[in-house]
Amino acid sequence: MIRKRRTMILIKGSSDVPAKLAQEIQDSYEVKRIEESNNGLVMIKVREKAKQSLFYLGEVLITECKVMINGFLGIGIVQGHQPELAHNLAVIDAAYNASLAEINAWTKVLLIEENRINKDNQVFMKKILKTKVNFDTMNV
Amino acid sequence: MGYVAVKGGIQAIEESIKRLKYERLKKGTVLDSQQIEGGMRCLIDQVMSESSLYCETLTAMAIKQAEGSPEEAVFLLRAYRSTLPRKHYSRTVQSEEMLVERRISSSFKEIPGGQILGAAMDYTHRLIDFDLNKETDDEAIKWVCEYALESGVDNDQTNLSNLPKTLDYLREEGLISTCEINYDEPDDVTKESLHFPTSRSQRLQILTRGQTGAVTSLGYAALRSYGALHPTVGELRIGNLPIYVDSPFLEQNEDGDAYYIGEIKVTEVETLFPEEIQKGNGEKEIEFDIGYGICYGQNETKAIAMSILDRCLEAANPEYPIHNEEFVLLHIDSVESTGFISHLKLPHYVTFQSKLDSVRKTKK
Repeated sequence: MIRKRRTMILIKGSSDVPAKLAQEIQDSYEVKRIEESNNGLVMIKVREKAKQSLFYLGEVLITECKVMINGFLGIGIVQGHQPELAHNLAVIDAAYNASLAEINAWTKVLLIEENRINKDNQVFMKKILKTKVNFDTMNV
Repeated sequence: MGYVAVKGGIQAIEESIKRLKYERLKKGTVLDSQQIEGGMRCLIDQVMSESSLYCETLTAMAIKQAEGSPEEAVFLLRAYRSTLPRKHYSRTVQSEEMLVERRISSSFKEIPGGQILGAAMDYTHRLIDFDLNKETDDEAIKWVCEYALESGVDNDQTNLSNLPKTLDYLREEGLISTCEINYDEPDDVTKESLHFPTSRSQRLQILTRGQTGAVTSLGYAALRSYGALHPTVGELRIGNLPIYVDSPFLEQNEDGDAYYIGEIKVTEVETLFPEEIQKGNGEKEIEFDIGYGICYGQNETKAIAMSILDRCLEAANPEYPIHNEEFVLLHIDSVESTGFISHLKLPHYVTFQSKLDSVRKTKK
């Protein structure tokens, strides 16, 4: 599964999922800490629609962690102060970069979690759509 | 004017700081940061926007420390931000990717996807709800559970994460002019000091991190100077934008290589300004120009005011101070304006004494 999709599932879904997957790797491989979880900033670049130009909206606090497994680097980046999650994300990223055998079984786990996220999303949207206006023109 | 360093008053300062802590705690209650984060949503959004740093938890702590003073909380967050490394720049964020939870237009009754009210104070009575004084955690949890169990709509399949922009609809109709996509990298006002004339990216960055009250007041002043012309909100949308970061280890990043890091809530506004255009044949036509506003969190007044100021600064006009970028951009930053005003209460003994000497001499 591509990184863009899996990181979204791992961050939006239950934190139990990355914790479990990372533990699986840590139980079987040596995980070298390259950079402990630490805080930093990400600057947000936005394209506005009035003139189609780019500008910087502001920064977001993040937690970042770097680890290495079998000589392959992994990074965990997540919004806010979440050192444990950042570490787990880094371990999972390194596992994918090193193409470890464990990742084959993970696709199913991630798809189940994605399905759950999508269901929650549907519930959210259906609730929001209750506030959609149905215009009736008044006969004055 | 020279400054002279003085020392003394260390004990008084220490006691003053103790007194400040006493004022915060003297009623015997300690505010939980989580309670601030849960119940002070609008204040948190305002402070995050003015400090230009998105983190609800950190902002709640700053508000607690600042005893609810937005200017002090912004100062704390800007100071903290300056201690952190900027590790990455995000991929370009576009508001079409927003998971919308509120979206209205005052220009068109029927917009593709519909008008979605979401959460808004606009339709409340603005009468103080005295029952809130007796509200308990148990009641709140019960209400939230009951609300969660209420069913949503069944017959509306609108995808709120892919709503079309009203401006695109107008561009397709030929009612507003199209413009080329601009790929110029933006300037960053946090890295380089401002020189005039400014670039559009600098203006938008300063406006979005401007103090809510200042941006709103200047936007209001601009409206009053417009006379008969009245801008209209083409689209106001609020929702979450996903943030992606490229892999720092790849030379060439494919779309799927990005890291999703989370999402931010923003308010985005596009305002339409009717403008009379003189055509070649002498006839006059009305065309629409657009003002753009965006800010962290749900802060609709600020985003609308920003869109007005954006339009004013794009169409510079020496007749009005609100169209003068130096006047607007140098006076709306919270830390700069409150900092300079506040410095007046700091000791000015030497400069004031010299003025006093001058007055005494003239009196002799």
